[in-house]
Amino acid sequence: MTDRNNKIPFDEDNYTHNITKNNERQLDRRGFMKTLAGAAGVFAVASLPWGAIAAKELMGLADKEYPHQKIVDLKDIAVGDSIGFHFPSDHDSAVLVRLTDNKFVAYQNACTHLRCPVYWVKEEETMICPCHHGKFDVNTGAPTAGPPRRPLPEIIIEVHDHAVYAVRVKRYEA
Amino acid sequence: MKRSYVGVIGLLIILGLNIVFTQLLVHQFFYENYEAVLLYMGINILLFPVAIFIYKKEKNKGGAGKNGK
Ligand code: FES
Repeated sequence: MTDRNNKIPFDEDNYTHNITKNNERQLDRRGFMKTLAGAAGVFAVASLPWGAIAAKELMGLADKEYPHQKIVDLKDIAVGDSIGFHFPSDHDSAVLVRLTDNKFVAYQNACTHLRCPVYWVKEEETMICPCHHGKFDVNTGAPTAGPPRRPLPEIIIEVHDHAVYAVRVKRYEA
Repeated sequence: MKRSYVGVIGLLIILGLNIVFTQLLVHQFFYENYEAVLLYMGINILLFPVAIFIYKKEKNKGGAGKNGK
C-alpha cells in the first residue's frame, strides 16, 4: 500500500498532508475535547460497580444479622491469647483476643492497608500487620502506626454458656 | 483566527470533578457510607452527559476552519 502515500492530496483532513493547514487547529482542539468527553464516560462507567455494590449493601444491611457463630469455649482461650476464626463468611478471616478475664475483642483481621492478615502480638500488646509494619490498637482497632489509615472492622462479641460467640460486624464510624 | 477555549476549559473542569468525586466515592465505599457512594456515583454519571453536551456545543466553535468565526 505504499503508493497510497503518493496520492496527494488526500480527501479528508489530516495532519501529514494538510499543506494548506486547513482546520488544523480545529482538529487538534476537537480531538482533545473528544478525549476529555471520553474520559468522563470512563469515569461514569467505572463508578457503576461501586454504586451497585453500595446499593446491594444498603438494601441488605437492615436485616443483616448473621447467625451467631460460636468461636471458642471459654476454657480454651487464656487471658492474653488470641484465636483466629472466620466471620461472617468463610472468606472473612478474623481474630479474637482475650484481654482480661471477661474482656474480649474481635476484629476482621484483613489489614485496612492492603489486606494482609493482622496478628495479635502478646509481647507488644498490639495488633501487627507484617506486610508493611502497620499497627492497630487492640482496644479500638484504630491504626496507630504504619500505612493503614482506617480502623479494623470490629466484630461484636457475646459470651454465654461458657463460650464466645460472634454476633455481628460493627460498621465504621467515618 | 480566534480560538474558543470555553469547551476545553469546561471539559477539563469536568475531568477534575470526575477525579475528585471518584476519589471520594472509593473512600466512602470503604467507610461503608453507602448513601454517599450512591450520591457520588450519580454525580459521576451525570457529569458524562454534561461533558457530551459541552463537546457537542463547542466542537465547531473557534479554530480557523471555513466556518470559523
Ligand atoms: S497491608 Fe498491612 S500495613 Fe500494608
